[in-house]
Amino acid sequence: MRKQDLERLDDFLWEIPRTYRGDMRVPGRVYTTERMLEQIVGDRSLEQLVNVTTLPGIQKYAIAMPDVHEGYGFPIGGVAAVDADDGVISPGGIGYDINCGVRMLRTRKTLAEVKPELRKIAHSIAREIPSGVGRGGPLKLKGGDLDRILADGAKRAVEIGYGEAADLDRIESGGRIPGADPDKVSSDAKQRGHDQLGTIGSGNHFVEIDVIDTVYDDEEAARLGIAHGSIVVQIHTGSRGLGHQVATDFIRRMMQAMPRYGIHLPDRELACAPIQSPEGESYLAAMSAAANFAFANRQIITAGIRRAWPEPIEIVYDVAHNIAKVEEHDGRRLVVHRKGATRAFPGQPVLIPGSMGTASYLLAGLPGAMDQSFGSSCHGAGRLMSRTQAKKQIDGHELRQRLERMGIVAEAASTKGLVEEAPEAYKDVDAVVGVVAQAGIAKKVARLVPVAVVKG
Amino acid sequence: MYEILQHTADVRLHVTASTLEELFADALRGLMEVMGGAAASDTRTEQVELESVDVTALLVDFLNEALVRAHVQRRSFTGASFATLTETHAAATLTSVPAEFEEDVKAVTYHEAEVRRGENGWTTMLVLDI
Repeated sequence: MRKQDLERLDDFLWEIPRTYRGDMRVPGRVYTTERMLEQIVGDRSLEQLVNVTTLPGIQKYAIAMPDVHEGYGFPIGGVAAVDADDGVISPGGIGYDINCGVRMLRTRKTLAEVKPELRKIAHSIAREIPSGVGRGGPLKLKGGDLDRILADGAKRAVEIGYGEAADLDRIESGGRIPGADPDKVSSDAKQRGHDQLGTIGSGNHFVEIDVIDTVYDDEEAARLGIAHGSIVVQIHTGSRGLGHQVATDFIRRMMQAMPRYGIHLPDRELACAPIQSPEGESYLAAMSAAANFAFANRQIITAGIRRAWPEPIEIVYDVAHNIAKVEEHDGRRLVVHRKGATRAFPGQPVLIPGSMGTASYLLAGLPGAMDQSFGSSCHGAGRLMSRTQAKKQIDGHELRQRLERMGIVAEAASTKGLVEEAPEAYKDVDAVVGVVAQAGIAKKVARLVPVAVVKG
Repeated sequence: MYEILQHTADVRLHVTASTLEELFADALRGLMEVMGGAAASDTRTEQVELESVDVTALLVDFLNEALVRAHVQRRSFTGASFATLTETHAAATLTSVPAEFEEDVKAVTYHEAEVRRGENGWTTMLVLDI
């Protein structure tokens, strides 16, 4: 796609009209600046957005956030809302890492107070919380115990001793998606994830200690219990192998079922089924169970951080950024697919992690999100460079030294993992957040910068 | 033969082979190379059999079946020998060795996958979600 194929609606919103391709049911919309758009058209993310507009039952427009980049099927950084009664649900619109998300914790410490102990704290967190490929966690659940986590998410984690009941009030959907059915999760998925609760995994997942370096909205910051100079912790991970397998199982099943429903799509990875069909209902129930597993995972990791850091730690908020949810918009029940996008209901905290070595943001949703993006915002900086390219271009030793010079402690299981997530592999998070703020989707509350990173 | 290519978020594998059996076996080796960490000893074999709607889906489903077994058993598949391989049905013996994987492949996706037969044999692209 070329830039001239899009129509500029205002400084931060561009539209791909329905005339772009004959099979589009609705237009595509892209939140971006002109400069960032030039970067976005460099990969296939907008062609993928056009493919999303062909989904039966899609409402208004398929949306790309400013952090959009090429995925498989759906672009990453995409939102699609479909009618809950006669639309379809597409596992590819959620992604393989179901309920990958971010949790922010607040401490009562300032940077000056923790600085002398930082390396020790990061090391203790790394010891308490397994990270990296194939690392199992402290819990090895089977049968009924795993099913209760799948049914009740973070609520069950609290019941078995990981955290406090008050934590649940600060998690999207209370850390438990209703309608989850553990029986719809395959035994393969359960086997793949049964020992992974309480683990970060690899890739772009991390635990990060940050300091609040700018507060934009004093009132909102005070409401969330943070202030300039205070130390917070971010957790970025999801449903691990269990969620990956749920997605694999249902993409296969829906691809086989699509001809029966007369659905033809331009990309198999968009495989979908009517929401009101056995396949659609089963997927929604299994996806919700995997989402609950992810909420429980972040809850158990939080318990690990509390053990590693014996100071009072409270949750600021926890958001999912790969999920489908049944929501009411303009009086209609819709299933909102968010793949690499964060719910941003008015007043709700929105967590936007940047790359290691740059900034992250705490935002709050605005009414504009309900009008424009089905209550959704961006989810991160967005990848710019492939992992292969990052490994070729970036020297691991130099990167470690650079982080050290920036005052960032890095506890990484592998140098490869560190290099793949180097700051230059990502878009400029300040620019990405600037777009959602100026478009009136979410307002900036605070900016934070990392002081220690723990990753696989 | 396979080649590992770039993708903004993930990894692409371009696989070419003179026969369909080779295409499946090479794609499996490519997937396992991306995951890395295979040991050199303690070889084991096991059976796999599956049906899919067409040859592209069969390849992706075959690789995903190997992937879940690899994750659950912590073993890397080093070879596949096919008793049956049609465009919709595969029955094979897989050979594996213990592994400590270095890359967590979440799934083999259907995105961009299209098994084609040309003048020089079989070919497909595969996108791995990592």
